[in-house]
Amino acid sequence: MQEMIQKSVIFHFPPELYDKPVISGLIRNCEVEVNILEAYISPQQAGHMFAILQGEEGRIDDALRYMEGMGVSMVLPVRNLVWDETKCVHCGACVGQCRPRAFRMESSRVVFDSARCVACNLCIPSCSYGAIESISSHLKRKGEI
Amino acid sequence: MPKTYEEINERIRARKAVVITAEEMVDLVAEKGAAAAAREIDVVTTATFGPMCSSSALLNVGHTKPRMKIQKAWLNRVPASCGLAAVDVMVGATSLPEDDLLNKVHPGSFPYGGGHVIQDLVSGKEVEFVAEGYGTDCYPRRRIEAALSLKTVSSATLLNPRNCYQNYNVAVNMHSDLPQYTYLGILHPGMANANFCSAGQLSPLLKDPYYRTIGIGTRIFLGGGTGYVFYQGTQHNPDAERGDNGVPVEGAGTLAVVGDLRGMSRDFLRGVSIRGYGVSLAVGIGVAVPILDEGLAASTGVGEKDLFAPVYDYSKEYQSMGRPLCRVSYAELRSGSIAVGGRKVRTASLSSYAKAREIAGILKEEISSGRFLVTRPSAPLPGSRAACGS
Repeated sequence: MQEMIQKSVIFHFPPELYDKPVISGLIRNCEVEVNILEAYISPQQAGHMFAILQGEEGRIDDALRYMEGMGVSMVLPVRNLVWDETKCVHCGACVGQCRPRAFRMESSRVVFDSARCVACNLCIPSCSYGAIESISSHLKRKGEI
Repeated sequence: MPKTYEEINERIRARKAVVITAEEMVDLVAEKGAAAAAREIDVVTTATFGPMCSSSALLNVGHTKPRMKIQKAWLNRVPASCGLAAVDVMVGATSLPEDDLLNKVHPGSFPYGGGHVIQDLVSGKEVEFVAEGYGTDCYPRRRIEAALSLKTVSSATLLNPRNCYQNYNVAVNMHSDLPQYTYLGILHPGMANANFCSAGQLSPLLKDPYYRTIGIGTRIFLGGGTGYVFYQGTQHNPDAERGDNGVPVEGAGTLAVVGDLRGMSRDFLRGVSIRGYGVSLAVGIGVAVPILDEGLAASTGVGEKDLFAPVYDYSKEYQSMGRPLCRVSYAELRSGSIAVGGRKVRTASLSSYAKAREIAGILKEEISSGRFLVTRPSAPLPGSRAACGS
């Protein structure tokens, strides 16, 4: 038997799918548990969801492929944060805010260890470059497009 | 045997110059001593990347038809300064839209301002330009709304009256029960953290502490392109307190720098939003120090255990221009924690050492390949100990 794992993911549903029961298909076909933490539909009828998938490792891979096949795009976030490395300048301001040392310096560059993150969100306002975003503001910003 | 600027430039042109970064120079001087390093090395590259508020873009937006004398102007709703000639407008890094919420809901988020306008321009984006004039016989037009980019303007100059501070404070919050939202970041109560902002052993003015080679006219790496030191920066203070090695142990010298914004890059010019404080521009600067003699080999080889910064309580003494709590070395700051009053305080940098390292590497490559020569200043900065004739 394969090991049970968890994977947090942001799904972006195109407007064509807004009235289709995608998640129930995911649960039935892929035998994964879906813990929906946040979800909404934008005025343009695009759907956005932050969820944690639980199941055997192979099943999770199947689940992601199933969603892709349905036309759903996805971001695999780092726990409850989205860290955009293209905006990060590796100054380390976040490192000083992060008690559990999820953000830390390695060879003068910032690295993020999602397993240590306790979702306090103190790092978010410390980043002057807008490189760290909470899942909810990431979802809202995507929804505005 | 001292070298001259001309001898070093001849070697650069012949691609025979030996160029290393200040970080590498620290190791070399520790290993072989300053005298040997002076013989071996021609140029040491230094660099820094961090928020530098006294920065601006000077744009000549070009004449309109009919002509217009601009009295007020906005770029993406960010007000520009217009107290110059008819179509010269200057957008300062810390300028904020008039409808920004500022700190009305504290701490403000300051999502967009002058620094971001400069970043957008250098990224090749169009910005919304709105200007008003009062109309004269020769400049009758009173209003314009247009898309503006680096392609449409007549000239775009990055004009920074104060960059590259020689040294800087370390900030803590010792006395307030609330987080302090400062230009040195968020400081939690009970000295939970300390923030600093210097490239330390890579920082240009820490490596030439008496401005012997860095002066008026020095060519530099600026924002990804080419720039020049055009004067001492505002608040330049060569008389600041110095350690036994001659390096200031507090804020001291500064540089005024200028360069063509065209040719610069978003990688080294970034708008920043500082929570509860405002906006600014992070600027990348690289300066080549020619190793004319053993003294310059020694100063460029000073490591972070011998470079010091003052720790200030930003919830109290700093506000009233009081004394620092203590001094700490950059080696301690870089280690992740410092001791203040017998307590261990976690540290974080607001200056990007990774970017500084990248810039020092680019400059090293430019010089090694003969594309970037060292400059003899046309005049020294105040407090300079430049040797006559060197």
